[in-house]
Amino acid sequence: MTAASLGHEPHHDDGLALYREVADIRLLGFVLFLISDCILFSSFIFAYLYMRNAAPVWPPTGVGLPDANLAAVNSIVLFGSGATMHFAMENWKHGTEVKFRRWMVATIILGALFLFGQGYEYTHINATWWGSTFGAAFFTLTGMHGFHVFCGIVFLIILLNQTLAGVYNKKQYFGLVAGTLYWHFVDVIWVFLFFLFYVW
Amino acid sequence: MAVAAPQHSALAEHVHHAPKSFINRYIFTLDHKIIGLQYMITGSLFFIISGLLAELIRVQLMNSDGRFLSPEHFNELYSVHGSSMVWLVIIPLATGGFGNFVMPLMIGARDVAFPWLNALSFWMFPPAGLILFSSFLVGAPDAGWTEYPPVSLQGPPGTSMWCVAIFLIGISSTLTGINFLVTMLKMRAPGMTFTRMPLFVWAQLATAVLNMVATTALAAALLALFLERTFGIPFYDPSHGGSPVMWQHMFWFYSHPAVYIMILPAFGVISEVLPTFARKPIFGYKMIAFSSIAIALLGFMVWAHHMFTSGMTPWLVLPFMILTFIIAIPTGIKIFSWVATLWGGNIRYSSAMLFAMGFIATFTFGGVTGIFLAAVPADFQEHGTYFVVAHIHYVLFGGSVLGLLSGAYYWYPKMTGRLLNEFWGHVHFWVTFVAFNVTFLPMHWIGLLGMPRRVPVYDPQFTDWNRVASIGSFFLVLGMAIFFINVIWSIKHGKKAGPNPWNARTLEWMTSSPPPYYNFVKVPGVLHAPYEFDQPLPYVGLEPAENVVSGYKAPMPAGSH
Repeated sequence: MTAASLGHEPHHDDGLALYREVADIRLLGFVLFLISDCILFSSFIFAYLYMRNAAPVWPPTGVGLPDANLAAVNSIVLFGSGATMHFAMENWKHGTEVKFRRWMVATIILGALFLFGQGYEYTHINATWWGSTFGAAFFTLTGMHGFHVFCGIVFLIILLNQTLAGVYNKKQYFGLVAGTLYWHFVDVIWVFLFFLFYVW
Repeated sequence: MAVAAPQHSALAEHVHHAPKSFINRYIFTLDHKIIGLQYMITGSLFFIISGLLAELIRVQLMNSDGRFLSPEHFNELYSVHGSSMVWLVIIPLATGGFGNFVMPLMIGARDVAFPWLNALSFWMFPPAGLILFSSFLVGAPDAGWTEYPPVSLQGPPGTSMWCVAIFLIGISSTLTGINFLVTMLKMRAPGMTFTRMPLFVWAQLATAVLNMVATTALAAALLALFLERTFGIPFYDPSHGGSPVMWQHMFWFYSHPAVYIMILPAFGVISEVLPTFARKPIFGYKMIAFSSIAIALLGFMVWAHHMFTSGMTPWLVLPFMILTFIIAIPTGIKIFSWVATLWGGNIRYSSAMLFAMGFIATFTFGGVTGIFLAAVPADFQEHGTYFVVAHIHYVLFGGSVLGLLSGAYYWYPKMTGRLLNEFWGHVHFWVTFVAFNVTFLPMHWIGLLGMPRRVPVYDPQFTDWNRVASIGSFFLVLGMAIFFINVIWSIKHGKKAGPNPWNARTLEWMTSSPPPYYNFVKVPGVLHAPYEFDQPLPYVGLEPAENVVSGYKAPMPAGSH
């Protein structure tokens, strides 16, 4: 993917220096990608605030707001997955690979549980995507977030597979760094969405 | 001047060999130079198509009673013309084209940070163009390039294709922005500190930030429009609680920075061409560099000056007017610095230089009318008239396009190893410069007199100036035809250029023309900014360009890596 792709072994002996340089470059690229992704969410959050501000009554008549208690439980599940992800990485760096794998699987399961909870919420809420500006903002934003969680789960499964195949070692594990960053990023986005849709 | 300690870089020393097969080398290539050329060829084709759309508009406006095209077709023409010139021509040419070809060479890198991503960005570009132009088959978008709802909500099916096409090119721009930003921040040659970077690189840096941050806001706006048109999700339709003004906010939050995405690379070109052909150090290097960044930052805070008549919150009008005036300061700094660079210089009137000087004149003119439009009381009179059309063409054609043409004459020898014909270059310049002003200058007057933009029929009192503008526009076609014939003819028959035909001092001229796959045999150390024309070249460890084999497929010299 980069000029010196990680798949190619360099001719000279400073392979680790090359890996570090490439990983450094990729990390910056990945962070910039997350920033631009953040702008995408921010734009829809702007739209939500704008429509909410312009509405004569909020929520629009005939629309029921989602259940905050259910969302709170679901949030705990998601933030819990952030914690398990953190433990997974700590074990990769300082612990054993078996423990790393257990925490990764826990993260994936919690992520899937969160999506399940969101699906339950979608089917029990008294609002539709097309019925009101609330629905437009709520389903678009939480749906986009859910899609990010889904992509994150796929990402983590690929990473887990890669570790099983021996792609990474204790010093060279850029993919895991990116996966962790992504997962925490998705967590942080949810903090804002939770406040905007369930608390405020 | 202390010798810069060249920092050890394993990456810079690590070289891949050029791929063997034709397809991998020239079609699905990862080489930034070939990808740059691919952007330029594709962008030029789209330029010709959307230029011809503009000519149809001008033919229609020869007569005030509009018998050439139906009003529906006329709406489609100006909408697609504007959209494609912005998203399929100027932005891809300025960043994907010139940025790709020149920037990595200028910083002494062997490629961009993510060559594979670079190729992916390019391959979203031709499909986006095909989708946009094929929308004519089902009814092209007809609400102007800005596609304001609620009109765009009721527009023909092609409006959804417009959303898809612009979304695609938007993703492509975002990825290019990320890619270039990482390249410029991480892959500069040893010793090339920020204040030793060529000004074209500074311009690309500011542009990359804008591309990366602003374009996803457009993606959100487009996604919402697409969802509303397709599934009736209420964002913009006021009858369902949505707000059309919200689209304008989201659209202009991208599209105002986008005008700087279009003009900053041209600023960069001018900042390279002027010192080279005036044989003088650029005046105010740091001021030009930092003003690019200032423009990029301020560019995010002025979007609502497009919306003074939209009925937006009244107290917001004043801060947006003042911030817009402030943005004229960094722009003015650049213009004064360029003029001061020319002052007392030993000027050589090459084609590239003529276009650069023409750029200063017309862009300044367009900048001044921009100040008129930013003044709220004046804007209420001028908004939605031909004055706006005149302004945008002075900054986008008279600015961006003249700047890119200057760059084309300047870097063509680096791209092909041959010079463009200078005589026909001069003819091209004078035909274009005169025809441009004949076409667009009268639009200021008929705009101030009250001729609205985007109308297929108009008051007969404006007929004379409209005919003048149309005749001018036909000569613009002639000028561009001369250019494209020159470009094609010179590939085979142009004078051989050698590595550095202009005696320029930036790094891209320190290797052969066209450069080999790996750009530089040895990555040089950089001791100084490149504009001190009376000093020796500020590079150490360079293989003399005469010894570097030229050609995109040249093999690595034996024994090196």
